[in-house]
Amino acid sequence: MDNLAKHLLQRLMRRIPASMLQSTLDKWGRLTAEKRKSLDFTQSKLTITQELVALCEESELTVKHITELEMIYDAHSVELMQFKEQFKSHLSELKRNVSVKIKKHTDEAVWIRVAWGDGLSRPNHLKATYVVHYLQTPYVFVNALSSKNKPLLLQALTLSTKHQQIKAANLSGQKLTALRDLLMRQYQQVFPTKYPSPLPESDQSISKLRIEKVQAEASANRHRMAGETFGDGMLPALQSAFFQLETKFKDPTNEAMTQRDEPFICSVKFSSSNLLESLRHCASSGIASTPVTPLLSSIPLKGRNYFVITDNVPNA
Amino acid sequence: MEGSRERTPHSGVVKRRSKSQSYRRSIRTCFGVASGLSLTPALTARRMNICRKAPRSQNITEKVKPEHLALLVKTEWQLSYVTPLYQFRHTQLKTYARQLSAFIAAEKQQGLAVEVGGLQNTFKVSFSVLQGLAETNDDPETVLIQVQSKPMFARQEDPPKTVWSGWLSCINGNPEYLQSLPKDFTCLPLFCSKGAEGLSSLVKSWLQRTFDCCFGPLDINQTTLQWLAALWTNCHMETNIQKLKMIWTLPVVPPLQVTYTVDSDDALELWRSTRESSAEKSRGAEDEVCIDFSEVTRFMQGLMSHFYRHFRVDLSAGELNQVSSALGSAKLNGKIKISSSRYLISIFSLLTECALLKMPI
Repeated sequence: MDNLAKHLLQRLMRRIPASMLQSTLDKWGRLTAEKRKSLDFTQSKLTITQELVALCEESELTVKHITELEMIYDAHSVELMQFKEQFKSHLSELKRNVSVKIKKHTDEAVWIRVAWGDGLSRPNHLKATYVVHYLQTPYVFVNALSSKNKPLLLQALTLSTKHQQIKAANLSGQKLTALRDLLMRQYQQVFPTKYPSPLPESDQSISKLRIEKVQAEASANRHRMAGETFGDGMLPALQSAFFQLETKFKDPTNEAMTQRDEPFICSVKFSSSNLLESLRHCASSGIASTPVTPLLSSIPLKGRNYFVITDNVPNA
Repeated sequence: MEGSRERTPHSGVVKRRSKSQSYRRSIRTCFGVASGLSLTPALTARRMNICRKAPRSQNITEKVKPEHLALLVKTEWQLSYVTPLYQFRHTQLKTYARQLSAFIAAEKQQGLAVEVGGLQNTFKVSFSVLQGLAETNDDPETVLIQVQSKPMFARQEDPPKTVWSGWLSCINGNPEYLQSLPKDFTCLPLFCSKGAEGLSSLVKSWLQRTFDCCFGPLDINQTTLQWLAALWTNCHMETNIQKLKMIWTLPVVPPLQVTYTVDSDDALELWRSTRESSAEKSRGAEDEVCIDFSEVTRFMQGLMSHFYRHFRVDLSAGELNQVSSALGSAKLNGKIKISSSRYLISIFSLLTECALLKMPI
């Protein structure tokens, strides 16, 4: 590595804030994973810079590569910087006396903490609202937001992320990571196959009873469809799903109710310590008939757990 | 309806007399009466009624003191059944109160953990009669037991706090069974308790050794829960029940709870439609309010089929755990709450019947 490259790198390192360092280097991709792992990001900036220079020399990187890194950082930081500034300014315009703190975590999540006050009182830090936004995604997670402040926050978010509209995703739960994994499908998916593999013939010497064979096939089918609908392995932990039903009552054995014009109003709430696993087990054990009804499969598919079902629009 | 019917004054229960014993036997096995009972004349009368008069809103504030009613409603009671009490006298209540106080104090000294509000408490017990709840001439009067606690260093003006209460009752008990009991026995099969578990055990213990009786848990089974769902929906004709809420649990891993809440007007319409299709509906005024269990079953099946149509999940694979409405709530583990005194008699008649079915003799 020549002196120009070293100099550029050192100058660049002075610009890049510590919180963005790791993700910027990851995006750059010019250093192998091992080399990146060997960097200790808890040290002082100066020490990290020295180590980084050493690593770049080892990898025989040139000025071209360093300029690449600079470009990546610029793009990355501008995006984040713009978002931060815009959000703060928009929110302050809408409401006086708010205290906003924004922090970016290494996993592309921007955490925002808003303490609300109004014209008369100071921001209340005991009842702060937390917002988490994953920069490259159109999703925002909000906690502890009062209905009074909701429109203000949503407007500030929409404008600062340069979108046109924000709407409720109808998904809520206790674990942020579970909601994120569900929305971004970061759990083991099972893709439907047209020709699933045949059942292994385990015991060819003893002829199986026909009933056993049919049951085993049915069971295997249920398991497969349950996996295709909900996923494999550990599923994100949702606690509940709520359906408001406003559909007509249809039962061939009950003419009086079937002829009614008005909908049959009722609501159903499913709750469990891990709702998706319970539902998957319902499907695989036959308690829920397969293929799984769209009402239930919408939960993982659309990443929602609040639904209003009417006759005209099946999934409002 | 065939056969004759017996009606006792103010009775909320109608029995159907059928002609053959084998029919009666089959009804008994249908409703889970303990098997292995010998068929003595007194026993054949005790079976879960498959036909019930709909609960009517009764203003019982004339029969029962409002302050007594206030003690009973809007609070959750744990249910148990108790076998007939030997040589129990309604005239000896003060003596019983003294004896039970002494018993509790003695047990506490022995180190039995009662753990209500600290170690320095003294307990005062009172026994009283809740007059007016007994419906028929055979029903003994309801007895209320209260345990009050007074901390050691309390001031004189501090009112003692009731830390435990329970009551024994028999409401619309089966007259044949009640009349068949030997003279010295008082049958108050329904025991409702509220408060620390330790005190419940002590009170039961004392009652057991003093009156030679036996206690057991009275679980509210699926049949009774279904009855309550239907009966409460029926009550919506007179009193707004707001919503009918039912909670099922499905046996999956992890267990899945399903809370199915139906708007009360829609539930009532469904209930009415199942009654209209009842083949045995006759025109007599009395018959209109008699509800058959098959109607209850059809009502539940209607609700479950609406559910299945949407979710393709069979609720009958699970267990109904709880039924509630504005009139009260009932849970599988034997907890009941009555929110309105107007239906107290009807619901507790049903529970008395359940308690009598549990009698081992």
